[in-house]
Amino acid sequence: MKRFLCAVAVAGAVILAGCGKKTPTLHIYTWADYVKPELVQRFETENGCKVTIDTFDSNEAMYAKLKAGATGYDLLFPSSYMVKLLQDQGMLQPVDHALLPNLRHIDPEYLKIAMDAGMHHSVPYMLTNTGFAYLGSKVTNAVPSWSMFDRADLKGRMTMLNDMRETMGAALKSLGFSLNSRNPAELEKARDVVIRWKRNLAKFENEQYKTGLASGEFLLVHGYSGDILQVMEENKDIVFAIPQEGISISCDDMVIPKTAGEVALAHRFMNFMHDPAVAAENTDFIGYLCPNKDAYPLMSEDIRNDPGVFLDAAIKAKSEVISDVGDALPLYTKMWDQIKAAE
Amino acid sequence: MKHSRLPMYVTAGILCFFYLPIVVLIVNSFNVSRFGGTWEGATLDWYRLLFAERSIWAALVNTTIIAISATALSAVLGTTAAFALHRYHTRLQRMHYTLIYTPLVVPEILMGIGLLLFFVALGFRLGLLTVFLAHVTFCVSYVAMVVLARLQDFDFTLVEAAQDLGAGRWTVARRILLPLLWPGIAAGSLLAFTLSIDDFVITFFVSGPGSTTLPVRIYSMIKHSKHMPMINALSVLLLVVTTGAVWGSQALQKKEKAR
Repeated sequence: MKRFLCAVAVAGAVILAGCGKKTPTLHIYTWADYVKPELVQRFETENGCKVTIDTFDSNEAMYAKLKAGATGYDLLFPSSYMVKLLQDQGMLQPVDHALLPNLRHIDPEYLKIAMDAGMHHSVPYMLTNTGFAYLGSKVTNAVPSWSMFDRADLKGRMTMLNDMRETMGAALKSLGFSLNSRNPAELEKARDVVIRWKRNLAKFENEQYKTGLASGEFLLVHGYSGDILQVMEENKDIVFAIPQEGISISCDDMVIPKTAGEVALAHRFMNFMHDPAVAAENTDFIGYLCPNKDAYPLMSEDIRNDPGVFLDAAIKAKSEVISDVGDALPLYTKMWDQIKAAE
Repeated sequence: MKHSRLPMYVTAGILCFFYLPIVVLIVNSFNVSRFGGTWEGATLDWYRLLFAERSIWAALVNTTIIAISATALSAVLGTTAAFALHRYHTRLQRMHYTLIYTPLVVPEILMGIGLLLFFVALGFRLGLLTVFLAHVTFCVSYVAMVVLARLQDFDFTLVEAAQDLGAGRWTVARRILLPLLWPGIAAGSLLAFTLSIDDFVITFFVSGPGSTTLPVRIYSMIKHSKHMPMINALSVLLLVVTTGAVWGSQALQKKEKAR
């Protein structure tokens, strides 16, 4: 028994010693497959360091873990709304622009609508647009409008995102309101619209809609451009449409937590990801858009000509980033509960 | 008299229910389609991608290290705990029983957050060691429960007889207890191994930089990955390895019996 415990202790010591080796290690906490692996390897050789990537599956789980006191991560990739929460909780450190010369490449058009427009504590990483996708051969007379969800002939073959802000936002946009509206009357109208749509939906769905669309189980789905682009590579019949009433644009940012050990290395990684050539290569690989204006011309033709990725100026003017609604949040939750309960 | 055909149908139905998903998984690991809904043609691409993807193998190595070490330690601790619980009925042992029982009923998320807060308060560095300790805490309970059940119909006169014949404690443990309890210990360890290998919730919270396990990695892949079917390919490889191991050990046993 004693010998066994000794063996365990030795094994533990070996593992710990393995973590504390001389080459600096950058610990990234992000979504799986969210950086092109070859680019990570290039960063490692150029900087003589090691990069470990650990993954989370939702912003909320990542937040809960960090809030409870988990440390050791140098760079996180949360969505913008979560960045705001992390910042409000004092869990982030400001980014040093002197170490980030490549920030000059960032698209000023995006920064106009960004939550952290001055890039005080975050650097935008990837953008995705919300819209809907449908099977071109099965859905006739499609129009780029949220009103598609009123089409009774598609009843039971459509899905919308199981996400309070996205789906309420779509309804608000269809009525011409802001998707960050705090006006109770507007929210009630939006609720009624979603309830009307719900009668035509198969379900509210965040993941399976991709499989369902690829296999033809669903004819029209509400989803993210980055995800749908992947499905389109497989099923050529799929068309992605951006509703002209306006959409939500969401962004994942790069942030450095207060507890980070390798702050300088984290800055170098952020700077590296915004080198235009790197940003273009990364965008081509993942299918999400890096908001780096000098990378745009270097991206593949497919991406550049995709109206689902590069929005038409008129639609862009009507689109918004989902931001914090403050004390109107309980109202949203109440409306969403009523939608979920509605027949 | 004609036999009812019902049992045959039920058996066939249950076999389908159990094994059809595995068949679908194997088929999809060769499917060109990334989403698995339709058959788009055969390919070995997912296997090729899998072998090039170092982060999945790193996660698999982490998972294996933790599963084996956590099973080994909890087999020892669980067996001794079961023994103490069975032999002594003091107030202390009743408390011990509650402690062993608690992890079976506490929701995983509470255990995950609780352990994380505990490790943080102690100033532990999160990593493989903390995942290992967390897994031992819940694996011990399963081993203890299974061995305890085995002890219920254990004949302690055998131990007394051995002692009468002059066997020391060590001899009794090695020659009487271990061989007779072995099926229970093995079953408990297998259960612990399975639970450790696919635990997601607790592992998510107590893992640190560089200790992502396979389940944690897979959950995140569902969200963003372009190469999800790599997991099908990996599952098929694991299936082949485990089936091979079981078949191999059975063949060895047969050989031994024949001798």
